[in-house]
Amino acid sequence: MSNQILSTQDIHANVPPYRYNPSAWSQRIPICVLALVAALISVHLSLFQWGLIDSVYDPVFGDGSENVLKSDTATTMYGLLGIHDASLGVLAYLGDAILGFAGSTRRWQYRPWLVILFGIDVIPLGVVSVVLVLCQAFLVGSWCFLCLVTAAISLLLVYWAWDEVRVSLTYLWLIWKEHHDKRLLWDAFWGRRNERLDATAERLLSREVD
Amino acid sequence: MWGRVVEIMTAVWLAVSPFVFGVQDNGTLLWADIGIASLIWLFSGLSYWRPTRHAHLLILLVSAGLVLWGRFAEIPPTPAHQNHIVVGLFLMMIAVIPNQASLPPQAWRHGESQA
Repeated sequence: MSNQILSTQDIHANVPPYRYNPSAWSQRIPICVLALVAALISVHLSLFQWGLIDSVYDPVFGDGSENVLKSDTATTMYGLLGIHDASLGVLAYLGDAILGFAGSTRRWQYRPWLVILFGIDVIPLGVVSVVLVLCQAFLVGSWCFLCLVTAAISLLLVYWAWDEVRVSLTYLWLIWKEHHDKRLLWDAFWGRRNERLDATAERLLSREVD
Repeated sequence: MWGRVVEIMTAVWLAVSPFVFGVQDNGTLLWADIGIASLIWLFSGLSYWRPTRHAHLLILLVSAGLVLWGRFAEIPPTPAHQNHIVVGLFLMMIAVIPNQASLPPQAWRHGESQA
């Protein structure tokens, strides 16, 4: 039975193969801020789709944004979702910010489920953004400046979030590789504490940095 | 406990939303929204008490019901029902946030470990 309480230094430990801690606030706060910026842009687009404002800011493509946001593709998605696609974008970006903000600076080990949920929110969102840009190009035939901005932000979020998701997945993979114990893997996923899990985490932390 | 605070504030929005969307004369919508908001207040409030600290997870069920009601009650959904879809999806994200989410879980704070 271990009763060791981790020190502050442990909580902020760098995680190989990185020379930094991917769960540090300095890594996560920029993700949250950028996600909130994308959410605000999506609110602007949603207000137009709801008909609460008459025009969309677009310094590059003129009426292109309005064509995209009122296109048949957007209308079809509205029919399927029950809400406008821009509103779903607001929720998705808010989700990125919320899930990015929750958890301590060692959540890659303490709450892998939260990091993986964060990854599930961020990474598919990046893929959806690319798909929507392709829809603009090949289905609608118009471009929407702010949609392209949010798509670029989505891809940047994927790039920024990947390191933490990778570390959590590596931690879970190491547990499986060392123990082949489903119950232990389940405990690790939900962040339950256990001496064997602590030892695996320490082995991960003691790996050499590339 | 910021997740619980956000849930409580979102429930306030849900309770007043029939008036915002001008459907306060529809008794079903009005009382359903107030009832659902009350459930969210209850589950969030119970999460502050240690024996029922996981009560916020029940909001997942409430919010899933809210999304389904909003999506299928009327097709296409009216603005009031679109609000239900948006609020439901938002609450789903918030409800999974643990209490004291910015701190390590209790086991690490108090040094409890199972051999």
